[in-house]
Amino acid sequence: MSASPTIRLDSVSKRYGSRTIIHDLSFTVGRGEIVGFLGPNGAGKTTTMRMIAGFTAATSGRITVAGHDMATDNVSAARLVGYLPERPPLYDVLDVSAYLRFVARVKGVRRAAIHGEIERVAAACRLEAVLDDEIFKLSKGYRQRLGLAQALLGSPEVLLLDEPTAGLDPGQIQETREVIRAFGADHAVLLSTHILAEATLICQRVAIINHGRLLAIDSPAGLQRAMEETNRVALRVTGAAPALRDTLLAVDGVRAVDVRADAAEPGVLTVNCQVDARDGVEAAIARAVAGRFDLHRLERSQPTLENVFLRYVQESPASGEAA
Amino acid sequence: MSGTLAVYQKEMATYFRSPIAYYVVAVFLLGSGYFFLYNIFLSGETAMAGTFQNMGVLLMTLAPVISMRLLAAEYNAGTAELLLTLPLTPWQIVVGKFLGAVTILLLITAGSMVDLIPLYLFGTPETTTILSGYLGFVLLGLASLAVGQLFSTLTHNQIVAALLSAAVLLAFWWVGHLQSFQASPGVRAFVAYLSFSRHFTDFIQGLVRTESVVFYLVVSGIALTLSVAYLQWRR
Repeated sequence: MSASPTIRLDSVSKRYGSRTIIHDLSFTVGRGEIVGFLGPNGAGKTTTMRMIAGFTAATSGRITVAGHDMATDNVSAARLVGYLPERPPLYDVLDVSAYLRFVARVKGVRRAAIHGEIERVAAACRLEAVLDDEIFKLSKGYRQRLGLAQALLGSPEVLLLDEPTAGLDPGQIQETREVIRAFGADHAVLLSTHILAEATLICQRVAIINHGRLLAIDSPAGLQRAMEETNRVALRVTGAAPALRDTLLAVDGVRAVDVRADAAEPGVLTVNCQVDARDGVEAAIARAVAGRFDLHRLERSQPTLENVFLRYVQESPASGEAA
Repeated sequence: MSGTLAVYQKEMATYFRSPIAYYVVAVFLLGSGYFFLYNIFLSGETAMAGTFQNMGVLLMTLAPVISMRLLAAEYNAGTAELLLTLPLTPWQIVVGKFLGAVTILLLITAGSMVDLIPLYLFGTPETTTILSGYLGFVLLGLASLAVGQLFSTLTHNQIVAALLSAAVLLAFWWVGHLQSFQASPGVRAFVAYLSFSRHFTDFIQGLVRTESVVFYLVVSGIALTLSVAYLQWRR
């Protein structure tokens, strides 16, 4: 990451009328860095991406892209930005090559270099087979990849990708992640997603946003930890608490155990076990407990985005930039 | 300039890969051809005055069809998010699109000149009057398309854009009739000045007045400026 960030948001807020969509958002993305922008639907990811891309202006605060202030110099900044919106912006009546030619020309690619540039992005996004097809005939996967291809045209310094793998099959997702990873080696990439695995797999840092507020900026390792911590097994058992705790801690895959008396039902214990992410731990717990205790209920909770958010909300209600 | 040209070329490709351009050209040529024959056989004069008048009314209804998709279709398809984040100024977008619509106008204008062949073969029409009529028609078209583009910039719905444009253009066309209801000479003059048809009638009669040329250009300029201002404001 370079000393001066390529994307910088300083206390950015966005209001529509009296409704505040984005609250005091600050973070940076440096050259050679892929930052994931993680949040559930409606968290404010798309609005933030739109503000950075210059589609809509911030109500307050300052956004700079490669040193250009988006409030006053958005056209200069736009020359350095490739942007894939949430919905790929495609002209259905044009064919693929005519569409890419239009975007390349507007981005200032030299006329002599346009053909080669289109071939480059078409190869990167596996579009060679459909270059002469009209866009309305393309499948959802091809449309998404064409949206990515137009963003890559002209090798922009900054790449903004709003849900870039939405609608792709697993093979295409893998290829797209490789393209993004390769591009991110010497460019600044901000990638919004609501898929936890995507953020941890290809990003160097992850900005976590909910209800328009930045909850934290963490490393993928930190996010991985949060995911693992949300791997839990909940039980309701009748029996002695110390013996139950010892039994559970002896099960392979159980990391920590929290045993509490059920306030509503005397004699019943409510247990929360933090477990490894692998499968089968809950079955081992069931086997260990069922022989010695009266097991009423056993439930495995997977690491959903909401659970991970809850963990961050509990730890850091409204943190600023952490990295 | 290259940005404007790229937008213009994209517009032209879009027009001719959708049925709109073909529909507008076909309806206009059929309509103007019919009115030409009707006027010639009715009056027996080798003149275009009556035909120009009918072409003007036809343009008031077809200009909204040409202009309705200019920005409204971009909003609706989500491509506005691309267009407005590419390195283009609002002026480049608005002018590039406007020039695309003007090209359709020039095509229908050129197409209607087929009517001149029998006129010159079988009669002796006044060339200067015809040239002035065509100049007026093109200027009227520029103003109409600019107003139509403004409404297309203001709404996501192409049909709403077309209906609003048609209503406003027809109001501009007929506003001159309100003169009869005005007692004040100032208001009468103002209402007459706003009338698209009054200025156009001057051109049809062979009268190229600076005031009328400026009027159409100013209306076009104001409408385009408002479109640009709206695009800037909506950010």
